[in-house]
Amino acid sequence: MAQAGRSSISILPVAQTVESPRRRRPLRDNPILLLVGIMALIAALAGMMTLANRSSQLAPDFLSEFVLYALSIVDGTMLVALLFVLARSVIKMLVERRRALPFARFRAKLVLALLGMTLIPAVLVLLVGSELIRNSVDRWFNAPMDDILGSARAIASDYYLDRQRQITDEAGRLAKALGPLDLTASDVRLVRDAVAPPVTDGRAALVEVYRLVRSPSSTGTVVPVVDVVSPSMVANPNRASADRLAARAASGQPDTWVREPLDGGGELIRSAAVVRKADGAATGVVVASVHLTGEFAARARRMTKAYESYTQLRVLKGPLTGVYLSFFLMVTLMILVSATWMGLYLAKRITRPVQKLAAAAREIGAGHFEHRVERETADEFGSLVDAFNSMTDELDARGRQLERSTADLQQKHAEVEERRRFTQAILERVATGVVTIDAGGMVTTVNPAASRLLGLNSDAVGQSAAGVFGHGDLQPLKAFAIGDTGRQEPATQEIALSREGREVHLAATATPLHGEDGEDGGRVLVLDDITPLIRAQKVAAWREVARRLAHEIKNPLTPIQLCAQRLQRQFATSPDAVRTLVDECTRTIVGEVDSLKALVDEFSQFARMPAPRRVTTDLHELLQGTLALYEGLFPSVRFDTLFAVSLPRVRLDPDQVRRVIINLMDNAIEALNQRGQIVIETQYDERAGVVRVIVADDGPGIAPEERDKLFMPYYSTKKRGSGLGLAIVRRIVAEHGGAIDVGANQPRGTRFTIELPCDGDGVFVAGAP
Amino acid sequence: MTTVRLLSLVLVSVALAGDGAVVQVSTLSRDGRVYVSCTTDSALLTDLDEAIQAGLMTTVSYEVELRRPVTIWFDRTIASATVSAAVQHDTLTGRYQLTRSVDGRLEQSEVFETRPAITRFMTVFDRLALFRTAELEPNVEYEVRVRVRTRPRVTWFFWPWDRGSASGFVRFTFIP
Repeated sequence: MAQAGRSSISILPVAQTVESPRRRRPLRDNPILLLVGIMALIAALAGMMTLANRSSQLAPDFLSEFVLYALSIVDGTMLVALLFVLARSVIKMLVERRRALPFARFRAKLVLALLGMTLIPAVLVLLVGSELIRNSVDRWFNAPMDDILGSARAIASDYYLDRQRQITDEAGRLAKALGPLDLTASDVRLVRDAVAPPVTDGRAALVEVYRLVRSPSSTGTVVPVVDVVSPSMVANPNRASADRLAARAASGQPDTWVREPLDGGGELIRSAAVVRKADGAATGVVVASVHLTGEFAARARRMTKAYESYTQLRVLKGPLTGVYLSFFLMVTLMILVSATWMGLYLAKRITRPVQKLAAAAREIGAGHFEHRVERETADEFGSLVDAFNSMTDELDARGRQLERSTADLQQKHAEVEERRRFTQAILERVATGVVTIDAGGMVTTVNPAASRLLGLNSDAVGQSAAGVFGHGDLQPLKAFAIGDTGRQEPATQEIALSREGREVHLAATATPLHGEDGEDGGRVLVLDDITPLIRAQKVAAWREVARRLAHEIKNPLTPIQLCAQRLQRQFATSPDAVRTLVDECTRTIVGEVDSLKALVDEFSQFARMPAPRRVTTDLHELLQGTLALYEGLFPSVRFDTLFAVSLPRVRLDPDQVRRVIINLMDNAIEALNQRGQIVIETQYDERAGVVRVIVADDGPGIAPEERDKLFMPYYSTKKRGSGLGLAIVRRIVAEHGGAIDVGANQPRGTRFTIELPCDGDGVFVAGAP
Repeated sequence: MTTVRLLSLVLVSVALAGDGAVVQVSTLSRDGRVYVSCTTDSALLTDLDEAIQAGLMTTVSYEVELRRPVTIWFDRTIASATVSAAVQHDTLTGRYQLTRSVDGRLEQSEVFETRPAITRFMTVFDRLALFRTAELEPNVEYEVRVRVRTRPRVTWFFWPWDRGSASGFVRFTFIP
C-alpha cells in the first residue's frame, strides 16, 4: 500500500477502494507543485543571469568571498544531490534487476538512455563552455588595453605630480621669502606683498599664511595671518583643509600636501611649507594651492578610474572566472539534476502503470478477481486502466459464475462419488459377481464376488475380455463376455464351470449397455452362484425319491414277508427236500425283506429328518464320550485329540451331532483300512463367531473332483452303504446353521471341518489335554 | 588504488596550501593588559600586490584568540579580537592610505608613498593591548592564536586553505 501510495496507479481491493478515504496524490504528480517548481527554477536561473551580468560591478570582497562561496556551496550541494540521485537510481536498478522485478530491465534501459542523452551533452557543453569562458576572460585583459589605460593613467598621474611638485616648490620659495618677516605684526601688508607675486603670476591660485603660536602645553597652533586668492578662483576653498594641513606641517609630519575637491568642480592641490627664521626657528606655515579645473580633474579622474577598474578586473580575473565557471557549472548541474530527476520520473511514469497492470494481472491470474487498478490519470494509461478494469469486471462476473458452476459440479461430483462408493460397496460385498466390459471389449470392473467365483485377480482389469475368458475353465463364459450371443437384450444362461476340480453352477446374465444416442457402451456380466441351489434341489429331489421309495417299497414288504413265513409253515411237513428248499427260499426272502426294510427305514429317516433339539452342550465332553465308543475296537487306529484351550458351550442337538461325529469317524476308519491316525481338533473363532470341529485322518485322501459329490445322496466311494451318510451329516450341520467342508489333510489324508455357530456368550469350558 | 592516491594528493595539497606563511606571535602581560605582537611573512602579500596597485581596498585581518588549553578536549576561548590592516592606493597621486582598526575601531591611519613601509604596516603590529589580564588566572598557561586572512581573494575557486591565510600561536604563562 505504501508503494501504491507513491504511484499514480495503485492496486486496491474493491472494498478498500470504496471504503478508504481518497489518498493524497504524490507531490511529483501534482501539476501545480510541478509548475511552481519549474517557475522557481526559472526564477533561480533569471536571478543567476542577473547576478552574472552584474558580477563586474560587484564589490571585490562580495564577489570573491560571498558570491564565489555561495556558488561553490550551491555547486557542491547540487553535485552531491546529482551523485545521490544517480547512486540511488543505480542501486535501485541493480536491486530491482537482482530481484528480477518485472520491467526492471526495461526501466534500467530507459533510465540509462535518458541519462545518457542528458549527461553526455551536458558534460560536453560544460567542458567546452568552461574553456570558452577561460579564453574569453583571458582575451579581456590583452596588452593593448593595458598600454592604453596605463598610459592614460600615467599622463594624468604625471600631470598631477608635476603640479604637486610645482606648488610644493612654490610653497618652499614663499616660506623662504617669509622667513625674515614678522608674522606676528599687526600690519600684514608686507606679508601680503611677499606672497602676492605667485598668485599674480598664476603659479598659484591661493596662498595662505599662518602664524605659529607656541604654548607650554602643546607643540603649538597655527593662526591664519593672511591669504591671497587669485581672481580666477570662483569656488570657495575649504579653509579647514588648509588649517589641518598647516597644523600637520607645523607638527613636523612628512605628509605636507593634500588634494582637495572643490564644490564647484575642480580640485585644489595644497602644499604646506614651514616658515623659519634665519636661526631655523619655525614662525609660521605657508600653504600654497594650485587650482585644477573641473574639466581636467574630471578627465584625469575618469582616466584613473578606468585604469583602476581595468586593473581591478584583471586582479579579480581569477574570482571572476571562478564565478562565471561556477554559474555555468551550477546551470549545468541544475540541468543535469533536473534532467536526471525528470528522466527517472518519466521512466517511473512509463513503467509504473505497466508494472501495476502487470501486478494486477498476476493478482487476477491468481484468482483475486476483486482487485482493481485505480485510475488517476486521464491519459492513454487511464484508458488502459479502464479497459483493464472492464476486463476484470467481466472476469469477476464469469469467475463468480464459474464458481457457482464449480460448486454445482462439485456437489454433483460428490453425489456421484457417493453413489459410486455405494455401488462399489455393494459390488464388493454382494455375493453376485459383476464384471463390466467396455465398448472396446476391455474388462473394466471385476468385483470381489466375481473374482472369487471366476478365480480372477485385479490384473484382469484392463485386459481384453476375450483374453480373460478365452482360456481354461472360463471358456464357457467367453461368448457372454465378448457379446457373441448376438442378442441386444439381457440374456441369462446357466453355465457350469469346473473350478479347481469342483463344479460350479453360475447363472450368468449379460446385459448390453447403450448410451443415450444408442452407441455401444459395453456390457455387464452378472454371475450368481447357484451351486447351493442346484445342490439343494438335488437333495430335495432325492428326499422326495426316498420318501416315495420308502412308501412304495415298504408297503409290500410286510405281505411279502408274511407270505414267505406262511409258505415256510405250510411246507414244514413236506418232504425234507421240499422243506429244505422252501426254508432256504423263505429265509432268503425274509432276510432280503429285512434288508429292504432297513434300507427303507434309512430312506425314511433321510426323508424325514427331525428338527434338532438344541441344548447347551459341552462339545468337548460330547466328543470325549463319542471317542469312548471306539476304545479297544480298532487297535491299529490311534485316536488323538487337539482341543482348544477354551471353548464356549454350544447350543446343539447332542444326539445328531454325535451321529455326525460317528459318521465321520466311521468313514475315516474305513478309509484308513483300520490302520492309521485320526485327530479330532476343536477351534474357537471368536471373530467369526463359530466353533470348529475337525476330523482328520492320514488315509489315502479324496480326489478334489469328488469332494463336492461326497455330500450328495447315494454317492459313495465305498463298495457298500447307501451313500446317505455324508448327505445326512451335511443336513444335520445345515440344520444347526453350520457348514461342513472337506479338504486335504497335511501331509496326507482327508480333513472334514464342521463350523457350528456360537454367540460366544456361553460358558467357556477348558480344553481336554 | 587510484582513488587512494588521488585522496592522498588532495590531502597533501591541503596541508601545503593552508597556513603556508609564517606567523610569529609574541605576548606581553603588563599593567593589566595583554599586549600582542604579530609578524607575518611578507609573502602573504605577494598575491595581493597587483590588487593593491590596482587601487583595490586590500585588507589583512588578524583574528586573535586568547585560549586556555584543555587536555584531550577543545581549547577554551577566553577572549578574541580582530585586528584589520587595510591599504588603498590612489593611482592618481601614487599615495597609499593605510588604516588599522581593532574590532572595527579605527586605531591608526597613515599615508605612505613607499612600499616597504606599506608592507611593514600590513604585516606587523606591535604590542596592541587586545585583552585584559583580569580574565586570566595566575600561573596558568594560555595560548594566543592568530589566524591571518587577506582580502580580496584572488583565486578562481573557493578553497578555505589557500595562500591568503596563515596562522600561528604562542603559549605563555600568566604571572601577575
